[in-house]
Amino acid sequence: MAQPLPSPAQLEPLLGRRLIVVTGKGGTGKTTVSAALALGAAARGLRVCLVETGRDEEIPRLFGEAEPPVGHAGRQLRCGPTVMKMEPYAALAEYLRLQLRIPGLVTRLLDQPGFHALLDAAPGWRELITLGKVWHLLQPPPSSDEHIDLLIVDAPATGHGLTFLDVPSVVVSAVRTGPLQRHAGWVEEMVKDPERTLLLPVTLPEELPVRETLELLARARDDVGIAIDRIVINATEPEPVPSELLDLPERLAALPSSPDGLPSPATLAHCVRHRLERAALHRDAINELRKGTDLPFVLLPNLDVDGGGRGVLEKLASTLLESGEPLP
Amino acid sequence: MIATPARLLEEHPIVTCVGSGGVGKTTLSAALALGAARRGANALVLTIDPAKRLADAMGLAGLGPEPEPVARETLGALGIRDGSLSAMMLDTKRTFDDLVRRFARDATTRDRIFENPIYQHVSDALAGSSEYSAMEKVDELVASGAFDVIVLDTPPSQHALDFLEAPERLVGLVDSRIARHLVHPAMSAGRLGLRLLQRGTEPLFRVIERISGMGFLEDLAEFLLLFEELSEGFRARADHVRELLFGGSTAFVLAAGPGRGQVEQAIALADRLDELGARTRGVILNRLRLSPEPLVRGLARSDAWTELGPALVAGGLEPRLERAAAETARRCIEGYAEYVRRDAVRTEPLVRWAEAGDAFVRRVPELPRDVHDLDTLCHIESALFDPMPT
Repeated sequence: MAQPLPSPAQLEPLLGRRLIVVTGKGGTGKTTVSAALALGAAARGLRVCLVETGRDEEIPRLFGEAEPPVGHAGRQLRCGPTVMKMEPYAALAEYLRLQLRIPGLVTRLLDQPGFHALLDAAPGWRELITLGKVWHLLQPPPSSDEHIDLLIVDAPATGHGLTFLDVPSVVVSAVRTGPLQRHAGWVEEMVKDPERTLLLPVTLPEELPVRETLELLARARDDVGIAIDRIVINATEPEPVPSELLDLPERLAALPSSPDGLPSPATLAHCVRHRLERAALHRDAINELRKGTDLPFVLLPNLDVDGGGRGVLEKLASTLLESGEPLP
Repeated sequence: MIATPARLLEEHPIVTCVGSGGVGKTTLSAALALGAARRGANALVLTIDPAKRLADAMGLAGLGPEPEPVARETLGALGIRDGSLSAMMLDTKRTFDDLVRRFARDATTRDRIFENPIYQHVSDALAGSSEYSAMEKVDELVASGAFDVIVLDTPPSQHALDFLEAPERLVGLVDSRIARHLVHPAMSAGRLGLRLLQRGTEPLFRVIERISGMGFLEDLAEFLLLFEELSEGFRARADHVRELLFGGSTAFVLAAGPGRGQVEQAIALADRLDELGARTRGVILNRLRLSPEPLVRGLARSDAWTELGPALVAGGLEPRLERAAAETARRCIEGYAEYVRRDAVRTEPLVRWAEAGDAFVRRVPELPRDVHDLDTLCHIESALFDPMPT
């Protein structure tokens, strides 16, 4: 009964989609993965727009192009992708202007202190307007040089990340009629269309991120209906010790003394043991994830110690997109 | 004057652990509560995380919405005689419904709120509301006097701020001018929907209606109207919660890891707390790679490594593995040394930040396994309460 799992190389190419929503628990490196994916896609000739949804702009810094800030208007970086920082208030103003076509009215509305109080308390509008803006960016633009082939969203951390994606369907059910209901319906359709949209979960080979990823998979399937076709496991490390040398920590600890210039036998043993134990922990976590899902895994190496920068992103991009990513 | 974790727990009925996601707040909160128990306090750790593993580690069947005490014998085996340790998890949805039950004037109001489509989504999605409920529960527990100290584990940082600001936001919603516009004429008319339709002549509502559709405004008005009844209760509670958090009963402890960007996020969070009037009294650097001796010392002299192989062979290693063993040892140790160096560099700004604000700094080493038992929790406890000199 056990069919061989598809390897990432046999998968639909990532770059065939219009929208990739990158999500994961805080600290899993989803922003780095989003940036790497955007860089790789741009290097393959796609017009890529990368959308940040966090509180601060992080991505331009990852590319070493932090100044000036990209802001809500966005800016094409020298390395290729266009990056924008989603500002829900700005997106809302754009939306209202499109809907109402009476600029004075929109300004008056937005200037009402009561309107802000209402918005601050209203759940979900930030998420909805963010997804609405994403939808809008993916519509055919008036001139073809503004066309976006691939839009990547660096989504809020999971837990809150999925709430982000359920909002359109919540609105469709809570709001009974009118343009808002219709527009939320379009956004919902986009989120649920497996041809256009993919949710890309990023996790770490550790217990808690793995558990959260399994919960994410269940909710993405049952509550949101968004397609997931692979899981990115970030910061994996090669086996640190050959199988014949698994007793190396004990052997080091048993040395009467270290060669001159090396740390003490106990410290040498501690360091090797630490690496072995971490590797075992990672293995267990990956096995746990394997038990919970048949989806293929894309393993990214731990390049954290390399100091970051474009080089790291390029390496990650080639692993993410390697084999089977045809040029468009 | 710089406090210590022990003093902080002794002098405050609430110690709140804040930090971004994935830094180990739940475990650190439990270790703080364990340390308080060891010092004779009746301590409770209140988590927002299911933390099944933590429950297992404490010998508890699971964490529920009521405090579960760790067995006396279990604590006794750890040398804890006088104090007690309990743990509980917040059922946020339940507590929010409880609030509505508590503040609703009568059963009709209550049921109409529960049936309102906006409420059904609000109670799940109103950012920070679940955490607001957390404070409700904390307040109740403090008032009960059953615990000397409650260690509160909070949601990840962005949402931690939502949580601290949630009471204001809730009250802000029902107090807002727009809500009053929307609700009061309707209230006086009794028939909500009809009055609102007539109000469609007012530009502001015309604007919202054109986009949202009529039904939404009606539901919203009903929600606001019903909630307004509750607002007195909420306002009083919000004031109380603010007092509880920022009035000196609560000490804030900031947790951060050495991961990329985590220290920057932690400092941003602490600055925000400062603006809200909460002083951060301590910083816990979690999952650091620490070394008992300077590792870089010997790494410059590469021929030292070539001597390691023969030494291992002299200790009984098969000679054919000599080179592989020396090479593996070198790779592991150089890798570890790089981690130690990097962790120190990355966390330095936070250490300086803490020193400038007279907050204590504790370093917790990265453990080889996740915390599965109380013994491991005791390791973390001792790193917090009996730090190695640095």
